[in-house]
Amino acid sequence: MNIPGQKKKIRPDGPDKVTGNLKYLTDLTFPNMLYGKIVRSALPHAEILSISTDEAVKLPGVQAVVTYQDVPGFNGFGIIFPDQPVLCKNRVRYLGDALAAVAADTEEIAEQALQLIKVDYKPLPVVDCPEDALRPNAPRLHPDGNILHHAHYQKGEVDQSFQDCSVIVEETYELPRQMHAYMETEGGVIVPEPNGKLTVYVGTQHGFKDRFQLARILNMPETDIRVVSSPMGGSFGGKDELNIQPYGALLALATNRPVKIHQSRQESVRAGLKRHPMKITMKTGVDKQGNLRAHKVKIIADTGAYATLGPAVLDFAVEHAPGPYMIPHIEIEGFSVFTNNGVAGEFRGFGGNQITFALEGQMDRLAEKLQIDPIEFRQKNLRKANDPGPLGQRIAPTNGALEVLQAIKQSHSEEALVWKAAPTEKWKKRGTGIAVTMHGGGLGVDRVDPAGGRLSFSKEGKIEVAFGFEECGQGLLGVIEALVMKEFACEASDIRMVIGDTALVPVSGSSTASRATSMVWHALERMKDSFRTQLFELTQLVTGISADQLEMGPGGIWRRGEATTSTLCVSFSELAEKMPNGRSIHVHTSFNFPTSPDATVGGSHFLYAFAAVMAHVEVDLLTGKVKVCALDQAVAAGPVVTPLGYRGQIEGGGVMALGYTLMEEAKMEEGIYLTDNFDSYWIPTICDVPYQMNVEAIEKLIEGDPFGPRGVGEIGTVAVAPAIARAIYDATGCWVKKLPVSPEFLLKSISLGEMKPWM
Amino acid sequence: MTGQTKGRGTLKSFTISLTINGEEKMVPVMASDTLLFVIRHHLGLTGAKPSCLNGDCGACTVHIDGRPMKSCLMLAVEAAGKKVTTIEGLQGTPIQQAFIEKFAFQCGYCTPGFIMNCQALVEKHPDADDQTIKEWLSSNICRCTSYAEIEEAVKSVLKKK
Repeated sequence: MNIPGQKKKIRPDGPDKVTGNLKYLTDLTFPNMLYGKIVRSALPHAEILSISTDEAVKLPGVQAVVTYQDVPGFNGFGIIFPDQPVLCKNRVRYLGDALAAVAADTEEIAEQALQLIKVDYKPLPVVDCPEDALRPNAPRLHPDGNILHHAHYQKGEVDQSFQDCSVIVEETYELPRQMHAYMETEGGVIVPEPNGKLTVYVGTQHGFKDRFQLARILNMPETDIRVVSSPMGGSFGGKDELNIQPYGALLALATNRPVKIHQSRQESVRAGLKRHPMKITMKTGVDKQGNLRAHKVKIIADTGAYATLGPAVLDFAVEHAPGPYMIPHIEIEGFSVFTNNGVAGEFRGFGGNQITFALEGQMDRLAEKLQIDPIEFRQKNLRKANDPGPLGQRIAPTNGALEVLQAIKQSHSEEALVWKAAPTEKWKKRGTGIAVTMHGGGLGVDRVDPAGGRLSFSKEGKIEVAFGFEECGQGLLGVIEALVMKEFACEASDIRMVIGDTALVPVSGSSTASRATSMVWHALERMKDSFRTQLFELTQLVTGISADQLEMGPGGIWRRGEATTSTLCVSFSELAEKMPNGRSIHVHTSFNFPTSPDATVGGSHFLYAFAAVMAHVEVDLLTGKVKVCALDQAVAAGPVVTPLGYRGQIEGGGVMALGYTLMEEAKMEEGIYLTDNFDSYWIPTICDVPYQMNVEAIEKLIEGDPFGPRGVGEIGTVAVAPAIARAIYDATGCWVKKLPVSPEFLLKSISLGEMKPWM
Repeated sequence: MTGQTKGRGTLKSFTISLTINGEEKMVPVMASDTLLFVIRHHLGLTGAKPSCLNGDCGACTVHIDGRPMKSCLMLAVEAAGKKVTTIEGLQGTPIQQAFIEKFAFQCGYCTPGFIMNCQALVEKHPDADDQTIKEWLSSNICRCTSYAEIEEAVKSVLKKK
């Protein structure tokens, strides 16, 4: 990726990450620390008749055993509806449900104690698919029934307008349960402080939200809880919800000693969130001229046993069901359904990946039926700069959809045709495919979505910049550093960044929804002038040089126009030393993520990023194996803040989506995972990735756009699957409607006729 | 192995001598302790990471007499008498610098393991071709990057050699 004018930078966390010096929160140890373990349910659905911890408590080395009786506050958690018991009392609804937790001197003793905890269950019928859960006679999994959330949107007269369509495609797409598979499983240390307070060193994507939920569970004031939430060994949405924090906290309070819990991979698979499996039926019609007329969508999402962000994920899928296309008649209906399967929740792409696979599948099938080039067909129907958003709401004007399509069209060149015609073996076939998507940033309208930040001039003479965000690996520290350096023309060494610690940072909202980069930029825009003015006033006081003659630069304050050419007026450290007692410089801002002024559907968005993907595949007709040879992405998300970080998000996201398309499925049977580790859940290795990946960043925004960089944490994962699916069709003539694409399916479906091409 | 010390739980432990990053250390271990456990818990070296504890991901990779080894798959007692190098024993190598320059990490959790593997590759196969690089690197998993950056880092070091 080549972005002119960008100085190459290193990531601030680089040196500590390549030397092993960086302490992840699961690396921490404290004096007197105990080890915690959690008893999870043996059955996917059962009544609890009794829980006996007597034997476990007697085991030497066991310091505490807690059950539901030991939860001092509210026994439940969940970001939207707190319907998941911290510790179950009379019923379990999935294998990840917790029944008890143990703190012991060593991990082995804690493990041994788990075996001594006796739970009597009365098994209940297992509801293992949403269709069954929706039957009238299905067991009720929650007091309000089995529908967690029903979402509906309608515009025009959809059924009637199908009559005016000359071509209609109807298809049902099936999407799998994908695992986040962050390399660092959930864990950390919870430390009781001498003053009765609690410090929680556990990774999460929203420290303040964890603090709120923990306060409710522990019946403690929020201000008595400090959450240190960063750094993390990956999250991708999976650590957004509470995981082990409540258990560690209960045990730490029971023993008054630090308690470490670090889940094994098996425990993580069993209890952790996954991407929602969805079945999506779409009926889409076009008129004779190839204009999209009608689009009817039904989504059924398997949300598993508890809510977490299930409702919001469904809303997102509903919102993005028309995607970037202008369709006059639309009806979308979605159901997020409880089952006894693993809990599905927040995962990079947030319902967009599922719906985009279906939507782009429709576009490709329609283009094929119409005998129109798929790019041309899309171009004809894509939104223009001032068109409304997918659900008719006003959005920030953007021409991103057409720009990314145009960019990918150029890479879809004649070279590709030559490549396509020359497979390496006679029994291999090559094909190409493209797909387009738009993806909303932020939590959307009618959601609590605060942002904010703080700029201070520290006693040590550093520009201290603080945000309530987390470094999950996405490169947020690099983004903050780059934006501050650019704004104040200073050096990295002039900056001190503070994130991921509720004791030190302001409220910035969550490090989710592709929002952090965007909100850092917005916050700095709001704070920069005041901060600069106060610094210049202080400089004037200290040096006598008039404030209007000054500018900021490397190492300190310079005379305007002379930065780096003459000598410093005053260095930052000298300025700090000479700062009069009692004087300080702190600028604080708080605001909300921008939302649409006229949106009628909760959660719908205002700022969007766009991507177009081109995939080249080679399909082995003997084995059914698909090799993705090239995966190019064009992304329109505003200015690039850190070029290599941006590329990493798009390419890394692309490979995660390649896994989703071809390899990954956390299968369950009767509520039981058929996988528990990376030997049976395969994610891409270096051997699976394309040998060509180009990322083209379209940085230009509509003239006068005041919203700056959009986040790119998710967009690189969204449109990959449909592009690969279309490339498989191009190679084999076989439409894919279910992911992951298995070799068995392809071998069965590819019609070779009488002639074997290699004979 | 020498002397019997207090065990953990009902299990007995022994003291063995391990050569870690050039230093000889006397470490209490149980026969069943993995090398990864001992490095992290007894020696306090947390660069090698637990992730799958199953030999699939390579986050715990260290060097045993210069060869990359997944320390979750090796018992600590097997390492007695051998030279163990962890990421903490690797200072200022070109591969570490290359990882920084090429953005060959994001969350960084897999990075120490990757670097240990890459360093061994660079030492054993200074003229490695693409196929060799892919074979070696396929023993480690990274969930954040596309591996392209890691491959670029390795190649940039090989080129300089």
